[in-house]
Amino acid sequence: MATSELEKDPFYLRYYTGHQGMHGHEFLEFEYAHGRIRYANNSNYRNDSLIRKEMFVGPVVVEELKRIVRESEITKEDDVAWPKKNVVGKQELEVRIDKEHISFETAKIGSLADVNESSDAEGLRVFYYLVQDLKCFIFSLITLHFKIKPIQQ
Amino acid sequence: MADVDMAAEVNGSGHPWAAKSVEGWIIVVTGLNEEATEEDLQDLFGDYGEVKNLSMALNRRTGYVMGYALVEFAEKEQAEKAIKDTDGTTFLEKTIKTDFAFAKAPAGGRSRAPADGARRGGRDREASPSRR
Repeated sequence: MATSELEKDPFYLRYYTGHQGMHGHEFLEFEYAHGRIRYANNSNYRNDSLIRKEMFVGPVVVEELKRIVRESEITKEDDVAWPKKNVVGKQELEVRIDKEHISFETAKIGSLADVNESSDAEGLRVFYYLVQDLKCFIFSLITLHFKIKPIQQ
Repeated sequence: MADVDMAAEVNGSGHPWAAKSVEGWIIVVTGLNEEATEEDLQDLFGDYGEVKNLSMALNRRTGYVMGYALVEFAEKEQAEKAIKDTDGTTFLEKTIKTDFAFAKAPAGGRSRAPADGARRGGRDREASPSRR
């Protein structure tokens, strides 16, 4: 696939995690669409401010993103039994790939213990690991491209 | 085709769409053997110039290599030669793909997204986080 074809490719991916708290709206979000990755991170703690970055990626990066999503089989899951968003915050994952379209929302997950307590531990585990793998990939790209360290939330 | 138009660009490179990162040129490698190590990659790519940075992720679930790595060279020519020589070749018994990781913004700017981009319920990406 050439770079120009990425603009027509319907593959879409968005992840958000955030909460409203004593430091205002703090969140981290990244989105892939049409060859472009956008990243936003707002932490008001100690007057940190909003970081926004965007970068265009080549076809092999996009193929790898898709592979990570496909191999996770996240589109076979359902968020109906996952913990609901709460005062601690929420996470959202939206993916459009191969004629599938999912849009999940759940609470923040502190650790695998939270996952194991869920009535759909297996599904939530798929989500949990996929999010970690996606963050790892996106953050590596950001770190190398801009030489900045994204803030882990 | 934008790719064809841009091919007439300076230095006649085979990757006119590739974008430079802050400190160098990043290539992406995929299809890696799950037991590959950073040393293996150093050995492979060190032949093309000094590897300024190398990042290889592990699968959070299995602990094995995810299958991709990012490799930084200072010069485009080094990255280009590395891609030319290694893309589609067998490395540690697996066929790997290598290419530039980053691309230039498409000509015509930000508003190139096709109409179906509007299917996200008309949300304005720039404004959405603050509305939550």
